[in-house]
Amino acid sequence: MAPPGGSRPGWSRRAQYGLFFSFIAAVAGLVIGLVLLALSLVAPKSYASVRGVALDGTAPVTSSLRAVTATIGGVFTGAGNYWDAAHQNAQLKRERELMLQRIIEAKAISQENGELKAALQLREHSRSPIATGRIVGSSFSSPRRYAIFSAGTADGVRVGMPVRTAKGLIGRVIDSGAISSRVLLISDRASIIPAKILRGGQPVISQGRGDGTIDLRPLEVGHNPFKRGDIVITSGTGGLYPPLVPIARVVRLDDDGAIARPLADPGSSSFALVEHPYEPAAVAEEAGGVADTQ
Amino acid sequence: MVRAALANRRPIGQGPVTGAQYVPAVTVLFACLLTALPIVSTSGWYPDFGFLVLIAWRLLRADAWPAWWAAPLGLFNDLVTGHPVGLSIAVWTATMLLLDLTDRRTMWRGYWLEWALAAVLLLANESAEWRVAQVMGASLPYLTVVPPLLISILSFPIVAWFISRIDRWRLGR
Repeated sequence: MAPPGGSRPGWSRRAQYGLFFSFIAAVAGLVIGLVLLALSLVAPKSYASVRGVALDGTAPVTSSLRAVTATIGGVFTGAGNYWDAAHQNAQLKRERELMLQRIIEAKAISQENGELKAALQLREHSRSPIATGRIVGSSFSSPRRYAIFSAGTADGVRVGMPVRTAKGLIGRVIDSGAISSRVLLISDRASIIPAKILRGGQPVISQGRGDGTIDLRPLEVGHNPFKRGDIVITSGTGGLYPPLVPIARVVRLDDDGAIARPLADPGSSSFALVEHPYEPAAVAEEAGGVADTQ
Repeated sequence: MVRAALANRRPIGQGPVTGAQYVPAVTVLFACLLTALPIVSTSGWYPDFGFLVLIAWRLLRADAWPAWWAAPLGLFNDLVTGHPVGLSIAVWTATMLLLDLTDRRTMWRGYWLEWALAAVLLLANESAEWRVAQVMGASLPYLTVVPPLLISILSFPIVAWFISRIDRWRLGR
């Protein structure tokens, strides 16, 4: 059906003009929006300061409420732990025995390793964390996977630094405000991490799938090197992420790779560390090219 | 209408609350701020609350705010939720203009038609987010928009009901 003639608010010229100018303003708003969007796609760094301020504005609310949700979540998981406790206890004791043997082996190996490195006079950067904080929130309505981290430029956090917990890698910083920063999680599609399988040391590429899991692809095409339960660690290639940080555990195989679940769950990990990029020189060199994809 | 007027339940002298015309915009801002809740989601299937509230208001009444207010509201949403700046500005203003055109085409309005319109708009919003993510280097298969889309379509009636309650409160009805 053809629409009836334009909507008239009445005979008042003022009302008619008001409606018309509101329409013009809306079209202008649309155009401005498209221009800003194009700008943020082409040059993502251009709004860094504004976004940092907005981040600082909301982060205190998020951080203070985080304690409440952590408590509530803790009650439920705590209650779950009592379920089947005797069986769990026996299992944990068995695992502990095995672990003790492994620890002794590992100590011996690391001692030997230290001696060998001293003999070769390898130099390594000392890795001290820049800042400690909590993962307090996340993006929850977009295909991108970001988390809000409770430390910012005031603590020395800069864009591009890797974030990890004791359990494994979390991601890297992409926006930083004064007291909080935004982290690109390893489960985001745009975060591509050079990695290797802990079992055989075979190089693989880890890429997020946007839904909390990770795609793993071997660098050498041919056969599928993964097995269920394999652990994947960073290889240190590229210079951003430090080597030997656990990333994920394989849960399912597909035709030429595997799907894995991150070992460090940003939702339940209490503290996270921000570290220096592993090889700052290499990262700085690449920064021009990397900036476009962030 | 006649019955409601005869019922005489309303106390005399009760009118709109002060600043009633800004209430819709403020509820949208609050809905955007829901992302500041300390929920760490690994799947990203939560609905886009700001957009849901925006279309719920706009479908309820055409004069909730002048159409161009969608641009600053969208800017706020972009900054708070971490979308690339400009995405919500463009999508939200386009939504306002689109619904202005739809208002002239539709003969009547009803529950199902509003839900269908909302579903189409939510699909457009999710697709825009997906496309922008793809341009920014996170190219996911298109099917990944389905779960969040279903969740937001199903949560639209709840949001719309909530908004209609707020509307009655702000007008003092």
